[in-house]
Amino acid sequence: MEPINPYYPIPVKIKKIIPETPNITTFILDGMPISFEAGQFAELTIPSIGEAPFTPSSSPYDDDLEFTIMKVGRVTDALFNLKEGDLVGVRGPFGKPYPLHDFKGKEVFIVGGGVGFAPLRSLFLALLHDIKAYKKIYIRYGARTPKDIVYKHLIPGWQKIKGVDLLLTVDVGDDSWQGRVGVVTVILDEIPVDVKTSPTVVCGPPLMMKFTTQKLVEVGFKHENIYLSMEKNMSCGLGKCNHCRVGKYYVCKDGPVLTWQDVKDIEEPFL
Amino acid sequence: MKSYLLSPDKLLDFVKKLARDGSLYYPALEDGKTHLVKFDEKNPFTPNFQKIRTAENIKHFFFPSRGTVARFPKDEVKPVSKSYLLGVKNCDLRGIDVYDRVFIGWEPVDPFYKERREKVLVISADCPEPEDSCFCNLLGLNPYGEGISDLNMSEVSNGILFEPLTKRGEELVATHKELFVEAKEEDAKERSALRDKASKKLSSINTKQFKKDLSARVESTDKKRIRDARDECVECHACLHGCPTCYCFLLGDYKKGDNVERVRLWDACYYAAYARVGGGANPRSRLDERFWNRFQCKFDFFNKYENIYACSGCGRCLLGCSAKIDIREILWNL
Repeated sequence: MEPINPYYPIPVKIKKIIPETPNITTFILDGMPISFEAGQFAELTIPSIGEAPFTPSSSPYDDDLEFTIMKVGRVTDALFNLKEGDLVGVRGPFGKPYPLHDFKGKEVFIVGGGVGFAPLRSLFLALLHDIKAYKKIYIRYGARTPKDIVYKHLIPGWQKIKGVDLLLTVDVGDDSWQGRVGVVTVILDEIPVDVKTSPTVVCGPPLMMKFTTQKLVEVGFKHENIYLSMEKNMSCGLGKCNHCRVGKYYVCKDGPVLTWQDVKDIEEPFL
Repeated sequence: MKSYLLSPDKLLDFVKKLARDGSLYYPALEDGKTHLVKFDEKNPFTPNFQKIRTAENIKHFFFPSRGTVARFPKDEVKPVSKSYLLGVKNCDLRGIDVYDRVFIGWEPVDPFYKERREKVLVISADCPEPEDSCFCNLLGLNPYGEGISDLNMSEVSNGILFEPLTKRGEELVATHKELFVEAKEEDAKERSALRDKASKKLSSINTKQFKKDLSARVESTDKKRIRDARDECVECHACLHGCPTCYCFLLGDYKKGDNVERVRLWDACYYAAYARVGGGANPRSRLDERFWNRFQCKFDFFNKYENIYACSGCGRCLLGCSAKIDIREILWNL
């Protein structure tokens, strides 16, 4: 058998493009070119432009692979110019998945900010797949404004699921917004889970990660139970190019999710 | 392990035989430095195994500065041909040791490195005349090949002593057994004496050892002490590109006809954009942070991850530095 080339992206067509917010879009690919577990990530290639790392936003059990992506740089600019039917490439999966076996029988407390809800959606859908195995799933999600909320069309349905408690907040409301206003840490004032045993999972922009983690530590979550998505520059995804190294970890290989226990001694771990 | 003696007048025969099997490179002196040159029967064969490591590091042979790693959508990457590196010094073998760990030591294995590692045979040579820039002894290395290479050669009065260090090295001697005779005890004794002399010279060049807890000192040091040295740094990156143990790379995609070619390029952690993410956040936007990162990577991180320092004491960084920063001074002062 020919050895697998870990640098080769599997070609796959874009099946559907769903705009989520003015600068965040979900790209549904035609099929599942990789077999991943929630928490692992992939490198998405835009032909002749390059590639960038993204964690899927779809369930590992879906037939099609999805990514919800914010337009922020060279690769994503090019991606946003593609149309349904265009070809992209996928390499992966890379990194370690969430230890879902350790979450079983417990309340899972998920905190997301902005487009950070995308990888958490994949985790959430994986939990839903076996929802009876978990005591309860809590989601706390904050976006800048009501327009910046991702999965607007899906959230009402998720809120109705028994065993799911999903609260939203926006930094700044508008005339149409009837919900909570304030940064996501504000809705962390009331944490209904047993902080001594529950795992908590955080993903969002660097400042949100910093202050949310502070808050979670403050209220008593165990450091090894605080799971943090680390955003680092990654080129190879294989633990070889050295770009993502932080502290004593290659984030692409040993992460991309590390615990607060792993990173608390690192100077500015979220930068 | 058993050693074999090659008469100096048979070295050329040995080299010619090897060169029929693949390209052969050997160190030759030019302007006071040695460079690896390709053996060509039409040109005079003038090797120099006495001088320290070649001016250029040997990582090009295993991990080229620019190499195609994939084509998209149809993947086709050309295989590499066999080659021999003759006269490689132990400091450069440490580089291969680091690459072995990163590229084939854990899954997924890098198929391009693996192929080169299998097809490039390394014959190391003793390093009898260390120079002021050398400090392999401070990193626990000796001035002769101790492994990693397939075969090690040592020049003694009766000829050249070859010691196989791998099965591949044993096979190499066995294949050309008509050229060798079994070495005598006096040859081994002379080699030991020459090695001791070289080690003593290294000790006299580097009179102070690095502290035993170097890794912990780098981790816990007042970063200002390392960062102060960067005031001199002009970001020429010579220390990183010349380094035999630096393995950073970047993947770049280029359009070539109907295909896209994915190329692996050497990278260096001093570049300002090295760690910057798409959204603009940069954990090391300042030069002093990048300067400290180099030390953290080589002497703390890699030691924790693989239990060796990602530094070989070859001295290329301090000789290449535009600002004459001597890495030893910084490490001694921790």
